[in-house]
Amino acid sequence: MIRLFTYLYMFFLYAPIAIIALFSFHASASLSFPFEGFSTQWYEALFHSSDFMTALTNSAIVAAGSAILTTLLGTFSALALMRMKGRIKAVFAFMNFAPIALPGLFLGIALVIFFSLIGLPRSLLTVIIGHTLFTFPFFVESVRSRLEYFDLSFEEAARDLGASPLKAFWLVTLPIIGPTIAGAAILAVALSMDEFLITVFVTGSDTTLPLMILSMMRRAVSPTINAASVFMLVVTIAIIVIAGLVMTLRRRRLELERAETAE
Amino acid sequence: MNVVNNSEPIILDSQASHTDQRGKVDKKILSGYWLASPPLFFLVVFFLIPSVMLLVASFWTSKTFSMAPAATLSNYARALSASGFYDSLWIALQNGFWTALLSTVISAPVAYYIVYRTRSNAVLYLALVSWFSSYLVRVYAWRSILGTNGVINSTLLHLGLVDQPLEWLVFSKFAVVLTLVHIMLPFTLLLLVSGLRDIKKDYLEASADLGASGATTLWRVIMPMAHKSIVSSFMFTFVLAASDYVTPQLLGGRDAMTTGLVIANQFRSVGNWPLGAAMAYLLLLVFMLVYALLLGVLRAANLAPGKRYHD
Repeated sequence: MIRLFTYLYMFFLYAPIAIIALFSFHASASLSFPFEGFSTQWYEALFHSSDFMTALTNSAIVAAGSAILTTLLGTFSALALMRMKGRIKAVFAFMNFAPIALPGLFLGIALVIFFSLIGLPRSLLTVIIGHTLFTFPFFVESVRSRLEYFDLSFEEAARDLGASPLKAFWLVTLPIIGPTIAGAAILAVALSMDEFLITVFVTGSDTTLPLMILSMMRRAVSPTINAASVFMLVVTIAIIVIAGLVMTLRRRRLELERAETAE
Repeated sequence: MNVVNNSEPIILDSQASHTDQRGKVDKKILSGYWLASPPLFFLVVFFLIPSVMLLVASFWTSKTFSMAPAATLSNYARALSASGFYDSLWIALQNGFWTALLSTVISAPVAYYIVYRTRSNAVLYLALVSWFSSYLVRVYAWRSILGTNGVINSTLLHLGLVDQPLEWLVFSKFAVVLTLVHIMLPFTLLLLVSGLRDIKKDYLEASADLGASGATTLWRVIMPMAHKSIVSSFMFTFVLAASDYVTPQLLGGRDAMTTGLVIANQFRSVGNWPLGAAMAYLLLLVFMLVYALLLGVLRAANLAPGKRYHD
């Protein structure tokens, strides 16, 4: 019973996605059955559209920028949380999480007012800042639970042996927490590629992939939107699968290396 | 009793080691503060200050797409005196309530299945992957499925089951809630699973061994221990669904103006930022009231006993 229910649940989650994927290959412009055969014309139209290529480039710039910023800030946070204790740790962890406890709408309008008051014109830079605010909490959350078990005495041993703090981090801590950090960084890329609740407010005249899809949807229903949606879906899912592989493969390799040195 | 006896010496141990290396521990914590300062700086500048500015701006006066400093309550007065605000709030709360209720109820059995019936995380991961398929893509999917020329209507027409497309399928409250449930499910599931993970299977087995039926175990064992995660998954889903401004816009039709959409429009098309800011804080206040109400109802129904049950 409960197993059947779970299968139905998964069907409900994936059926709509499967349907838009199917019609992105439709030979005709209609988005309904009967299905009239396969064609890749909507994808060709999409990749020949300069609007799409611009949006894709912008999305890539923003995703890279916010992932780098998120990784830098998030690694500092993770290292800090490992060393903190008690109430201060709880308060700092809460502050890290707070931006996503509020709906994207609030972040978006708060940033609009802030950027306007400090006189920063809206551009891809403001989009990167907005996205970082959104991806940073996810980064810290996904890294935190894994780093709870990190043994700080490794680092202390390196320091006692005369390594500088930076050298101890580079030679001892980073190789251990690296895969987790890399996985979370790739996750940030995926989150940034899809983000638009904040982007709508903090962008100037630049469009990103989701913004382009949103404006296409306002105009008409067309299989080109299906193609754009499927493209975005494939990119995001590929990124997540890569993140998962990076995290597990690196850990396996480390375990193997450790086993070899033990022998 | 056993648990208490076992845990006490451990606590003493850790306290002892604290005092032993006091100097070292302090140094470690101090370096923690230094490391925390860059992210803290970022959060203060781009999150805390903007949030405070949004609050301050709600007391300012509006110039189109800009603002003038003032100390007026007129924005709040204006929002609260317009009947449209209450209508939008009512629609937003309904969207939030039905979405949160349905998502939680539908996800609970699946969370139970994931935690107690299967050892693999495949179902959870698969659900989470669908969460990363863009929100917008899923709104679009439902629009093309429910639309008057959409998959459902055209199939029904083709089969001769209806003469005219079913209008209520799209641009209706039904379409908005269905889509929001679809969007929120993986998120609700994740929160419920992490809540259930804390309740060991032993408790369930003990309850069954003592002769409790499945329903009794659910109400008297699982619910009191899981209520916190159920409430938090309900509230998070509620807040995200109630403040959504894209689904109602694309699937809700003309009379589906939610407060989130009204606020968004103040910033995108109307240009009255202080009014939008005031509405945003009113909406936050309403969310807090809903949270308090929810806790009150659960306490009255005896489903949320004090902390003693799960510590």
